[in-house]
Amino acid sequence: MKARPIAAALAVLGYVIMLVPILFVVASAFTSSSTLSFPPKGFSLQWFGKAAAYQPFTDALVSSLLLAGCATALALALGVPVALGLHRGAIPGRSLLQGLFLSPLVVPELVIGLALYQQLMIGLGQTAFAALLIGHAVLLMPYAVRVTGAALTLADPALEEAARGLGATPWRAFRTVTLPLLRPGVMSAALLGFITSFNNVPLSLLLQSRDFGTLPVTMLDYVQQSYDPVIAAMSTLILAATIIVAVVAERTVGFTRIFGGIN
Amino acid sequence: MFHRPRAGALLLFPGLLLMVLGFAVPSAAMLFAPPGVSPSDVFTRLTKMLTDGYDLQIIGRTLTLGLIVTVVCVVIAFPIASLLARSTSRWAGLWLALAVFPLLLSNVVRSFGWLVILGSNGVMGKIITGLGLAQQAPQLLYTPLAVVLGLVQLFLPLAVVSCYSAVAQVDRGLDDAARGLGASRLRTLWTVVVPLSLPGIVVAATLVFAGSITAYTTPYLLGGSSQRMLATQLFVHANVTVDWAAASATALVMTVLVFALSGIGSAVARAKGRVA
Repeated sequence: MKARPIAAALAVLGYVIMLVPILFVVASAFTSSSTLSFPPKGFSLQWFGKAAAYQPFTDALVSSLLLAGCATALALALGVPVALGLHRGAIPGRSLLQGLFLSPLVVPELVIGLALYQQLMIGLGQTAFAALLIGHAVLLMPYAVRVTGAALTLADPALEEAARGLGATPWRAFRTVTLPLLRPGVMSAALLGFITSFNNVPLSLLLQSRDFGTLPVTMLDYVQQSYDPVIAAMSTLILAATIIVAVVAERTVGFTRIFGGIN
Repeated sequence: MFHRPRAGALLLFPGLLLMVLGFAVPSAAMLFAPPGVSPSDVFTRLTKMLTDGYDLQIIGRTLTLGLIVTVVCVVIAFPIASLLARSTSRWAGLWLALAVFPLLLSNVVRSFGWLVILGSNGVMGKIITGLGLAQQAPQLLYTPLAVVLGLVQLFLPLAVVSCYSAVAQVDRGLDDAARGLGASRLRTLWTVVVPLSLPGIVVAATLVFAGSITAYTTPYLLGGSSQRMLATQLFVHANVTVDWAAASATALVMTVLVFALSGIGSAVARAKGRVA
């Protein structure tokens, strides 16, 4: 029995399942008919125009970008010091703390979303944006702590000590030695965090309000009401943006490595 | 600056505050005592859920589909990972990137593809009727098959990535040694590469299983109300019927399942790692 043909056949099947459905979405966005069907009838760009002019989508896009930016910044502002503290300080209960910071990867996101909906939005009367910001920052904490932590493990603590020995103040040693060593880790965590937040559905699902909704949830709502090529056009636009992000990420930090490293 | 415990504690404090007040406390409150509901109500609803036919069917479906998705993902991802990790082709990097790329793409966009393929006007129905296999296109959407396909598409990249790093760290010289001693390719794979990369395979399986039983978007879009799973049922309790005792009970089942699974997964991975 030969292993190679079987492996190759399974590999082909895998790539078909991963990629072909995405191609169908793209193809059906260019149809000139008003139903989402395949093969597309005729060729037109009208659905792209309609998607770009549909206000709930444009509003939600702005909301999602704002949320992803703020949540990433908050998670890094809180998470990078945590990574430094866990790495360098002699902290009692260190593995327990580490477990707490990584646990949002395990707890179902829908559970976190419902918890914040009950406690923050209903209990404390907070806005959807506040609840989403806290929820997404929690969700991104594991990335901020672990990806930056991984960069720190590679950095030699002797370097900072050498700088101190040569007379640098603690702050200067940190700023000129440790911080540059951290930069790739922080950039990877930022990219990973932004994309994770932007694409999130389960956590955001219950934390929507009339004035603040995220794009993936708005798109899900749209499909439930009408099933037309606008949704395929919007998906194609998101795909195009994601490809640009992936190419830029590959050129700068190497997305295959980042995404390969996190799990 | 960071060698004193007090400085370390100070660095941890803001992050810890977020995790406790924005995550641990609200989650615990929601799971055990949601607003206006006593813990005993949640417990009563939980026992009812574990004896009720309809709820048990949802739990059973969630676990069964999760298991099928896990097996399919590992069976497909391992060959992809071993072909890529052992390839000397200059295109291997591009193929790896193509397998990783979907991780960056919205789940909503990825699952929409199956609506176009499996929907009532979809390609698959046209192929089936076109080939004369059936008079009418069969119902494909909102079936277990649709959910499995959607979830396999969703989690394959994750499985490929985990298996790839597992296979890549197995010394290539061992393959060559086995082959040189006369083992067939399949035997080499089965007796050398698979056992040595088993911890990574177990990690992949755990991630896929845990992801499948908590996924929302794919079961919602492709399974609908006829293939309800724990996550979609939790959303109904939380947002449609607003039955918070039921929502907490469902959330408890889901959380316990995921934690048990992750615990078992990492224990098995560690044990296999020691043997290998």
